[in-house]
Amino acid sequence: MIGIVSYLVFLATVASILAIAVLGLNLQWGNTGLFNGGVAAFFGAGAYGTLILGGGPQDGQLGGFGLFYPLALLGGMATAGLLAWGVGILTLRLRHDYLAISTFGIAVAFENLMRNAQWLGGGAQGLHGFERPLHAALGDGFLYNILFLLCVLVILVLTYRFLETLVASPFGRQLRAIREDETAARSLGKVPTRIRLTAFVTGCVILGLAGGLYGTFYAFVSPQDILPTLTFQIWAMLIVGGAGNNKGAVLGAFLIWGAWTASGWALSRFAPIEAQLYTGSIQYILIGLVIVGMLLWRPQGLLPERLVVSQTGHTKT
Amino acid sequence: MGVLNMKRCNRILVSTLGVAMGLAVSGGAVAAQDCTTKIGAVLPTSVDWGRPIAETAQFVVDQVNEAGGVAGCNVEMVLRDSQVDPKIGVDAAKALVDLDGVQVLLGAVSSGVSMPILTSVTVPGNVLQMSCCSSSTAFTKLAEEGKTKQLFFRTFATTGVQAAVGAKVAKDRGYKSVAILYKNDDWGQDLQNLISKDFKALGIIVTSATAINDGQPSYRAEVTSALSGNPDALYLGLYPNEGTAAVREWLSLGGTQNMIVANSLKSDEFRDNVGLQYLGKTFGTDTASPRVASADSFVAAYEAKFGSAPNGPGLANSYDATMIALLAMEAAGKDATGDQIATQVARVTDPAGTPVTADSAGFSTARDVLASGSNVMYQGATGNVRFDENGDVSAPAVVWKFVEGSVEEVEYMSLTDVDDFIASLK
Repeated sequence: MIGIVSYLVFLATVASILAIAVLGLNLQWGNTGLFNGGVAAFFGAGAYGTLILGGGPQDGQLGGFGLFYPLALLGGMATAGLLAWGVGILTLRLRHDYLAISTFGIAVAFENLMRNAQWLGGGAQGLHGFERPLHAALGDGFLYNILFLLCVLVILVLTYRFLETLVASPFGRQLRAIREDETAARSLGKVPTRIRLTAFVTGCVILGLAGGLYGTFYAFVSPQDILPTLTFQIWAMLIVGGAGNNKGAVLGAFLIWGAWTASGWALSRFAPIEAQLYTGSIQYILIGLVIVGMLLWRPQGLLPERLVVSQTGHTKT
Repeated sequence: MGVLNMKRCNRILVSTLGVAMGLAVSGGAVAAQDCTTKIGAVLPTSVDWGRPIAETAQFVVDQVNEAGGVAGCNVEMVLRDSQVDPKIGVDAAKALVDLDGVQVLLGAVSSGVSMPILTSVTVPGNVLQMSCCSSSTAFTKLAEEGKTKQLFFRTFATTGVQAAVGAKVAKDRGYKSVAILYKNDDWGQDLQNLISKDFKALGIIVTSATAINDGQPSYRAEVTSALSGNPDALYLGLYPNEGTAAVREWLSLGGTQNMIVANSLKSDEFRDNVGLQYLGKTFGTDTASPRVASADSFVAAYEAKFGSAPNGPGLANSYDATMIALLAMEAAGKDATGDQIATQVARVTDPAGTPVTADSAGFSTARDVLASGSNVMYQGATGNVRFDENGDVSAPAVVWKFVEGSVEEVEYMSLTDVDDFIASLK
């Protein structure tokens, strides 16, 4: 029984971290219409930033700053934000698929940088030497995992509240205006470039936050954590959950991550012995089918965006 | 459930016929056990070279069940796919530990997956982790810092042996300069660092060391930069797919046929796809089996089971990892916890112990020896496996070359030869 609870805590922690990332992407794609194909890079920047700033010294490697953990996490977010700002300046004039391709390229470049620059992130071996905060006081058992989950949940709720407020604000209306018709927005005196950049950087900082928590949870990050698969997973969560709806983004993260792990577990338990070796491949097919099915029959996602008219067009005469 | 049991019985019957040796010794002990002990495995079964590694692990479990199981119980290996994704692998490991209650976890293959499993699942959960193939030197570092709690073992001889023997081949063949192509992952980067140092220690010039990324359509740029130094020989630390592609370009651009390859290229696929006529001056390195007749039983049993020689990365290592884990479970007795099993690993790999072979007969022998309180020296598919205090193995080494349909041994270096040679490089 304690085993099941312990596993569910673990599962929920990873799902919540991924949910934060999906919220970040939702701000970019769901609300602003920016196709970020480089999710893994910003997630990775957050993870590497946090671990480099918060970790202990390693031979021949940058890092060992051993910063107070919250500062390290903020530093990780700032790293992701800085990367996003640089990328944004260069690419945000691009639209749709062009933006997707260039950001995807940046993610591949980032992964290769981390794989090769051993002085920076330990190369392909990954970055270790990071101690989880309060590790000494709490040990690394069940209690730690529960408290970590609670922290992640609090951060998830705060992120959600922040984004809900942001989207309901005048700024949120600007985002949607740009998404729907940029020329019309400009004709009303809005500056699309600046607003797009703000939304892109904000979304990436949230992705970096998720990455930082992810690195903290495993006390380790390597280039294998930031392969393009991660971008695909986060996107799948947003599409299934419902782009443009923050509740949908969170729901999608939990559903897809749950389905991904549950299908692996169920196949390992119930598939006949002869098929055991192929469960990995079967799982890929199942997940692919779910996503294709969603796109065919419910492209708006499980919880579609709800547009509200915040001010009616009637004027009193 | 009934159907599954039937199937398993059939499997056992079939494999018993195949490996008649096991039957001769264990005899009537094959009777089904009434309890089951689970072990976990997190291996990349969705990757082409990962599946045989998992098959080999399952093969060991079948052999041990044939010999009557572990501590009186049938062994069931719950296999999960890591998809070479750390998140997925860690989650699978956590599920195995928490939901299935395994005390022994086999895996993973990539160091990038094994490492987070170790730090966030097996060490906190007090579970023995035995990896067949993770090569990163980071594990040694972690063990030295005491962070593995002696729960981590791997049967992949540290890359140091491979690198040293590769450098020795270059020296023996009289090469003055060598270019290196290496797989751009933790294993390849480690190998490249180590062998570059070894070459330098032997006075051989490394003209270039070029990283090869997986899955590129062409390696012309990389090969051209390796060629530009005009080296006497080429060293390849690659896997078969990329190795084939790179060597084809290397030869077609006029590169030398003097090649030294790591054990990852000891594959039929590589030989056939490059063409044996181009591999006459190619020498490979590998860790070796001990010079006792019984050590061939792994190869014989593997051929009987799968119909081909165990030529592929990590198969012998996977075999030994699984067998040692099961032997240690047997030594620790029923319902032992992961740390208790981990302390028994030394007992089953004791150089002074009774030698046992790598098959189900060997497992039966080991059971009797262990029950009498003595220790066992497991003679595995990769040699007389002996772990140091960090859970790393050293091993005898062999130099080999490709011949029609197989590989042929050129030179054998005993464990002392290997250790002496490595010491001479320092």
